[in-house]
Parts: sequence; structure tokens; C-alpha cells
Amino acid sequence: MSSIDPTLDTIPPSPVLRGIKDALPMMLGFVPFAFVLGAQAAQKGLSPVEVPMLTGFNFAGGSEFAAVALWSSPPHLLLIVAVTLLINSRHLLMGAAMVPFFKGQPLRKVLPALFFLCDEVWALALAEGRRTGRVDLRYYAGAAGSLYLTWVSCTAIGALIGPVLGDITRFGFDMAFPAVFLVMLAGMWKGARAAFPWLVALIAAVLACIFLPGAWYVPAGTLAGLLTAYLMARPE
Amino acid sequence: MIHLSTFLTVLAMLAVTYATRIGGYLFLRDRTISPRLQAVMETAPGCILISVIAPHFATSNPADLAALAVTLLCATRLSMLPTVIIAIVAAGLFRHLM
Repeated sequence: MSSIDPTLDTIPPSPVLRGIKDALPMMLGFVPFAFVLGAQAAQKGLSPVEVPMLTGFNFAGGSEFAAVALWSSPPHLLLIVAVTLLINSRHLLMGAAMVPFFKGQPLRKVLPALFFLCDEVWALALAEGRRTGRVDLRYYAGAAGSLYLTWVSCTAIGALIGPVLGDITRFGFDMAFPAVFLVMLAGMWKGARAAFPWLVALIAAVLACIFLPGAWYVPAGTLAGLLTAYLMARPE
Repeated sequence: MIHLSTFLTVLAMLAVTYATRIGGYLFLRDRTISPRLQAVMETAPGCILISVIAPHFATSNPADLAALAVTLLCATRLSMLPTVIIAIVAAGLFRHLM
């Protein structure tokens, strides 16, 4: 009926679909990691029901890998919670960075949305916020929802079929993760001076990787970078 | 199929993870921040991103470092999907060849 309407071409695509489309490269990166996590969790004795429960309740891959690595039967609850808090403490800054883009949106919508704030969802929301000045929650739902379903379902599949897959990182899929993050960094580029704290963060994080056990490299790198930015910014 | 100890551990993880996600947002929501803090906040996303992927830079495997260099070059010139595809292919190829 309206298929010959010339205005049809100019109707902007649905924000939900746009969010799903932007999340596609990340989904590609999620699949192999989810399989690996599911397989490792199954090896530690977690059932194919417990694995999606773990990933569905948390939706924070780094802490899930750490939890599975530390898993025993029964699990050391306090140790795993402390490590989870440490690894996910970066969410505090990520949530704070979202404040300007969620301005004017009611808490009853923002608080459920923040449940899905993993690294990738945050990066997509940040890019969208920088483009348009705010984050449309429909766009956010499309991106977060598709990534969430991909992650949770693929960890469950990993728990079921992982034991027969073997090591899939040999096909290079793990390089998708740094690739996604490097493209994002390139998008945030504002000159060498502004990027100097990033360099400090990278050096500190790499040193922490080499010399410290566990996931200390995330807070170590981030704090070193933030301290550098603080010292470089002129006090008023 | 679900052990109580597993359920409790996962529930505790849920609590701390969600607290980190809403904590920073709720704390800064109704505050005005100084230009200096603002400058720090603007640098924060990049610092976090680069720290999270630091393990990839901390390798001494030449195949991984070569793939990372190709990825870095692509990231400065290309958009997301081509960069990711080239990165995966480069990593798979270099690991096979080197």
C-alpha cells in the first residue's frame, strides 16, 4: 500500500534494529569466548543449568572467567565475590561516564538498563552518546539485549558441547576482543597529548600482567592512567 | 542440577556486580563536577579499555604480536566489522604459519 510512498526511504531505521546492527561485530567476538567459558565451567563441575545462571545473573565476562578459574566444590564464596568486585570495579567509572547521556530518563528505566552495562554495551552506548548527545534506551535495548542473549545462550551451549571442541583460540577468534576495543579507542582519539594517559595505563597494565597474579592489571592500568590525567589537567 | 552453594555464590556475584554498575551512576547523577575531575573522567574510558585488553599486549608470542600490529593499523583506518574480521584472520593465519 505505502510501498511506493517516496517518504519511506527517508524514515530512519528503528533504534532497536540499529542497536542490534551495531552490536553484531561484538556478538562475533562473544561466541568463541562464551564457548570457552562454558566448556571451562563444565570442566569445573558446573551443570549446563548452572552455567547460564552464572552468566545470566552477572553478564560480566572477565569476572566469570575468574570465578570459574577459582571454582571449587563447594566454591569459596568470599574469595570469588572479592575477585568479582575487583574486576568489575571499573563499572563504577563506566556508569559515571553514562550520566550525561541518560539525563532526563527516569530511574525506573535507567536502573534496569544499567544491569546490562558490560564493557561492550557500555562502549556502544558511549559511541552513540558521543554521536547524538544522548542514548536512546531503545537503541540501548537492541544492543544490550542481543549481546546478552548471545552471551548467555552460547555459554550454555559451551557447557554442553565444549568438552568436544578443544581449544578454539587457535583459529584466532580471541583477537576479535582487542580489535573491537582498539577501534573504539581510535574513535575517541583527540591527539597525542590527550592519549598520553592511555599510554601510561597500557604500560602499567602490561607490567601488572607480567608481575602480578590474577586481574590486578585492570585497576593498576586504569588508576595509573587516571592519575596521569589528573596531574596533566591544570587545577583551576 | 543446581547446588545451593553454587546458587548462593552466583547470587553474591550478582549483588556486587550490579552494585558496581549502578554505584557510579547514582553517585554522580545529581552532582556538578570540577573541570579537573571532568578531564579525568574523559580520559577514564580509554584507560579502562586499554587496561582490559592489556593481556594481549603482554605476550611474547611473535604471531600474536604481529596480529596485534595488523589489528592496530586497521583500527586507525577501518570501521568495526572489517577490522574484527581482518584481526581474526591475521591471528589465525600468523599462529598457523609462525
